[in-house]
Amino acid sequence: MPVESTTPARPDAPRLVRAPDPGEEPASGELFEVCDLSVYYGSFRAVRDVNLRIPERCITAFIGPSGCGKTTILRCFNRMNDLVETARVEGRILYHGVDLYDPAVNPVEVRRRIGMVFQKPNPFPKSIYDNVAYGPKVAGLKGDMDEMVERSLRRAALWEEVKDRLKASAMGLSGGQQQRLCIARALAVDPEVVLMDEPCSALDPIATGRIEDLMEEIKTSYTIIIVTHNMQQAARVSDQCAFFTTEVNETSDTRTGILVEFDGTEKMFSTPSDERTENYVTGRFG
Amino acid sequence: MPGGPGGELDPRARSHFSAELDQLRLQVEVMAVRVAQALDRMGRVLATGDEELAARAVAADDEVDAMLVSLTERSYDLIRREAPVASDLRFLVSVLRVLEELERIADLSLRVVKHAGEVPRLMSNEPMFRTLASMAEMAQNLYRTALDAWSAQDLGAARALADQSRIMDGHYATLLDHILALDGPGAAPLAVSAVLVGRALERIADHTVIVGERLRYLLTGDPAYLAAEVR
Repeated sequence: MPVESTTPARPDAPRLVRAPDPGEEPASGELFEVCDLSVYYGSFRAVRDVNLRIPERCITAFIGPSGCGKTTILRCFNRMNDLVETARVEGRILYHGVDLYDPAVNPVEVRRRIGMVFQKPNPFPKSIYDNVAYGPKVAGLKGDMDEMVERSLRRAALWEEVKDRLKASAMGLSGGQQQRLCIARALAVDPEVVLMDEPCSALDPIATGRIEDLMEEIKTSYTIIIVTHNMQQAARVSDQCAFFTTEVNETSDTRTGILVEFDGTEKMFSTPSDERTENYVTGRFG
Repeated sequence: MPGGPGGELDPRARSHFSAELDQLRLQVEVMAVRVAQALDRMGRVLATGDEELAARAVAADDEVDAMLVSLTERSYDLIRREAPVASDLRFLVSVLRVLEELERIADLSLRVVKHAGEVPRLMSNEPMFRTLASMAEMAQNLYRTALDAWSAQDLGAARALADQSRIMDGHYATLLDHILALDGPGAAPLAVSAVLVGRALERIADHTVIVGERLRYLLTGDPAYLAAEVR
């Protein structure tokens, strides 16, 4: 998907997408570079010292036990943690070489380029059409809205099921359809990245299969990062996989999340390098 | 609850599955011991031509076949129920392969045993028979190494197997030289028996090497060892 340049929020703001210098080598395919990332909630350090490079147009899964910080990290990628008052982020996340946490970067623009789908489908209590059209309208995108809604619903593999009832309430859709609607809504603003936080945990196996097929289809155009508790889902859909776990802090009874291993999914599920990964994927550590 | 006391990994998770894998490993070992006994009978039949022992060897093979079926079913069942990954998956797919190899080795030992009636004739050509006897001993030694390697999950022993098996190739070449030198009346049936027995012994060594290579795959995860059977 071509990434158009954006109008910065302030005249001095760095552009989110760096214009390539003349004669510069084409991008290496790495979209994000996470450097020494730590996240705090108040004085509690939820996750520490994460270093990752996420390539574009593939699916990256974050796995690990509850409380290991994978959702916290995911929410850093589009600055959703900004909305949590006590949350504080240290370190850097470079997106096209630009630090997302540079004070001059507009978080609203970040979230337009880096969309999110949540655990529980959360359509607006509006029509199917309005759910999809909402983002583009707010973002002030120009163009044929009908065509844009259809394109987004098609990309989310929902068009055939809803094309005759676009004005019906989104709340009347099944859970799986609602989740695909949320994906259509995320795609409508033409993002480059879609973050998914356990997008199938509230869905039955058939609806889950549809979402997974959809992820496979759209990854040629989008970069997807997914948090999942479902090991088999991570093994099925992702190209690479990051395993996080927790360590107990010596001075208090709290736990901090750490990244243990990040590698190709096949490697992670066949011959992981770290014993902790092996123990987790084989289920010896629940 | 992530982790156990002190943040260490909690070994209780899925302990039932671990116990079943351990049990399966032991049962494969029991089957492997049965096959070792079959090779031992094969050696004695080849040395003596004892037809009564040969008949017992043939009857004993049913037990090995039954173990193959039941352990294969058990492995399929564990795969279906537990969706194993990483070392657990390598273990189960390796067990499935090793079971087939063990059954094959037992069958090949019967090919030798079924020539019990031909043993006096084979003995009549002493240099050729000595080669066959060396091959039988070699096959049993290789197999014993494989069995020990599997029992101890010993990578070093598994590695040694591949090297030792080359000696068998040398023996087989010598045997063929002896056979090609045969002439006179009775040469043809003698040659046929020697080829069939020699070939079975050589194949036992090959299948034993695959057991070792599978163990190397299981222990290292290196897919290079999966190619052993096509070399």
